[in-house]
Amino acid sequence: MFETIFEIISLIGFIVFIILIAFFYEWIDRKFYARIQNRYGPLYTGPSGILQPIADFIKLLLKEDIIPEASEKRIFSLIPIIYVLLPILALLIIPINGKGIISFEGDLIFLMFLSAMITLSVFLAGWSSACNFSRIGGVRAALQMLSYEIPFGLSLIGPAIVANSLCITKISEWQIANSTAFIFLQPIGFAVIMISLLAELELIPFDVPEAETEIVAGWTTEYGGGRYALIRLGKDLELVMASMLISSLYLGGIGQIFFIPPIVIAIIKSIIVLLVMSLIRALFARYRIDQVISGMWKYLFPLMILQIIIVQFIG
Amino acid sequence: MRYGTTIKVPFGPQHPALKEPECFLFEVEGDFVVNVKPRIGYIHRGIEKAFENNTYMHDLYLAERICGICSHAHTVAFTQTVEGLVSLEIPQRAQYIRLIMAELERLHSHSLWVGIAAHEAGFDTMFMYLWRDREMIMDLMEEISGNRVLHAINTIGGVRRDINDEQANKIRKYLDKFEENIKNYIKVLETENTFLKRTVGVGILKPSDAIALCAVGPTLRASGIKNDVRKDDPYLLYDEIPFEVITHDGCDVFARTIVRCEEMLESIKIIRYALDHMPKGELKVKAPRTFPPNESIGRVEAPRGELIHYTKSNGTSKPERYKVRSPTLGNLASVCKTLIGAHIADIPMILAGIDPCFSCMDRILIKKRS
Repeated sequence: MFETIFEIISLIGFIVFIILIAFFYEWIDRKFYARIQNRYGPLYTGPSGILQPIADFIKLLLKEDIIPEASEKRIFSLIPIIYVLLPILALLIIPINGKGIISFEGDLIFLMFLSAMITLSVFLAGWSSACNFSRIGGVRAALQMLSYEIPFGLSLIGPAIVANSLCITKISEWQIANSTAFIFLQPIGFAVIMISLLAELELIPFDVPEAETEIVAGWTTEYGGGRYALIRLGKDLELVMASMLISSLYLGGIGQIFFIPPIVIAIIKSIIVLLVMSLIRALFARYRIDQVISGMWKYLFPLMILQIIIVQFIG
Repeated sequence: MRYGTTIKVPFGPQHPALKEPECFLFEVEGDFVVNVKPRIGYIHRGIEKAFENNTYMHDLYLAERICGICSHAHTVAFTQTVEGLVSLEIPQRAQYIRLIMAELERLHSHSLWVGIAAHEAGFDTMFMYLWRDREMIMDLMEEISGNRVLHAINTIGGVRRDINDEQANKIRKYLDKFEENIKNYIKVLETENTFLKRTVGVGILKPSDAIALCAVGPTLRASGIKNDVRKDDPYLLYDEIPFEVITHDGCDVFARTIVRCEEMLESIKIIRYALDHMPKGELKVKAPRTFPPNESIGRVEAPRGELIHYTKSNGTSKPERYKVRSPTLGNLASVCKTLIGAHIADIPMILAGIDPCFSCMDRILIKKRS
C-alpha cells in the first residue's frame, strides 16, 4: 500500500521535475540564441531572466481562450494535452536517473512510435484548425516526417545492434560498461540523429511547418491562451526529450561517474546537446520543404544505410 | 507538373511577409504560381491632392512624409523640382550636405533590406547583426539632423543644418566600422549554403523583361543593366564624385542582395569623398514664396530606384498639380512577372526582393461598383 503511494508521489515529483527542467532548457536556449545574435535575451524576470519561460506560461494561461467556429472542436482541444503527454511518456523511458522509470526490452521501438505520434498530433492540429496557414503547416509537418522518420529510426538501430539490445537503458549501460561512446564508434549515426531530431523539433533550418514569414505560425496559428501555453510546454519537453535521448544513446550513456549522481551527468550532457542545437538554429537559414525532403532522401538515408552496413559487417 | 485545376490563394492585405497592406491574388497549380493579380490602393492617402492645398514650404514637410525610409530622397526630389521652377542655384556646401544625407540614407535603407531578406529566408542572426549596425547610421543621421527618420534637413534653396568637423570625424569613424562589418556579411552571404539555396535561381528577371517592364533601381541593376540616375542624369554633385554603378548578372534574389550590399560599400566611398571635398560657405540662398507659371521635374536615385517628382506652378504660393512616381510602382510589373512559375514558399522572398514600399506607391483607389 505504502509502496504504491510512494511510487505515485515519486512519479508526480518526477513529472514536475521534468517540467521545471523543460522551462530551464527553454531559458538556456533563448539566452544562448540571443547572445549569439548579440542581443540580451530574457533579462528581467528572476536572475538573468531565468523565470521568464514560467512567467510566459502563466501569462498565456490567463489569456482569453478561443476555439475557431469552423474547427474540429474535440480534436482541436485534445491535441495540446496529447502534445504535452507524449514527450513526458518518452522521458519516462529514457534513463535520466541511470535507469528508465518504465524500462523494458523493446522500448526503443516504443520511442520511435511516440516520436511519430508527436508529428501525427501536429498534423491533426493543423488539420482540425480549419485555417489555411495551419493546414499548410500541418501538411508540411507530415511531409517532413516522411523524410526524416526512416533515417531517424535507423540511427536508433545502430547503437542497438552493437549493444545487442532494444532497451535504451541497456544501450546506455553498455557504453558505461565498455567506457566508450557511440559518438566515436558511429559518428555518421550521431550526425544523422542530430539532423533528424532538429527536423522533428521544427528548429531552423528545418522549421518549415511553422515558417513565420511564409505561413504566420504554421500549425499553431489558431491556438491561443492556455492551449498555446501547453503547446509551448510540449515543445520545451520535446527539447528535453531530444537532448536526453542523444546523450543516453550517443554521448556515452547516463550513469554515475565517481561521486556525481547520474541525474547531474544527464543534465550536463543534454545541455551540451542543447547548446549545439541552439548554435545550429542561429547559424542557418531555412530550407524549402522540397529541399528538405530531397536532401534527407539523397544524403541522410544512404549515409545511414552505409553506417548500418559498417556496423553490421566491420565494427 | 500539371494538375489541371488552379486554386486562388490570396496573399494580403494582411500577411506577415508584407509589412504594409497590399493584396496579391495568386492562381496556384500544385505548388507553383501560374498567375498573379496585384490589387493596389489599400493605403491611398490622397497625398497629391494635399500638395495642392498647401504652400510650397508646407509641401516640403508633406513630401518628407511620403515614405518613412527614403524620406530624405523625397525631399531632395521635391526641392530639386521646386528650385527648378525658377532655376534656383543652391550653394555647393548645401549640395554636399544633401548628398551626404542621401548616401547615409541609402546605407540605412539597404542594410534594412538585406536584414529583411535574411529574415524572410529564416536567417534571423544575420537580420539581428545588420539591424544592429544600421543603428550606427541612424545615430549619425540623428547627430547631423536632430532626427532619426524625418530629418527635415532640406529646405527650398539649401539646407537647414551644417556638418561641423567633429561630426565629420564621427561619420568617418563610424563608417570605417560599418564598412568592415558589411564586407564580413557579404562573405557570409556568399558562402552560407542554406541562404544560397533559398536565393540563387529564385525570382529570375531576364534583362529584356526588366527593360520591357520598366524595372528600376537595384532590381534592374541585378539583371545586369547599368542604370543609375546618379550617373545617367547627375543631380546635386554626383558628376564630380567618382563612383561605380554596381551590377550583377545573376538576375535573381541573390543578385539583388549582393547588388545592395556592394552599393553600400560604394556609398561609403562617396560619403568619404564628399566629406573631404566639402567647401566652406553659405548653407542656403533666399527662395521666393510664390513661383511663376512653369513646369518642372525632379529625378532622384532613391535607395529603391528612380524617383520622379513633377510639379506645375500657377503664379501663386501653392502648386497647381503635384505628381510623385515612386520606385516601387516601377518595380511592381516586373515582380509580378518574376512570381509566375515560383514555388509558394518562395513568394515572400521574391516579393521582398524588390524592397517594396507600398505606402510610397499608392496614389490611386479603384472602387468596384457592385
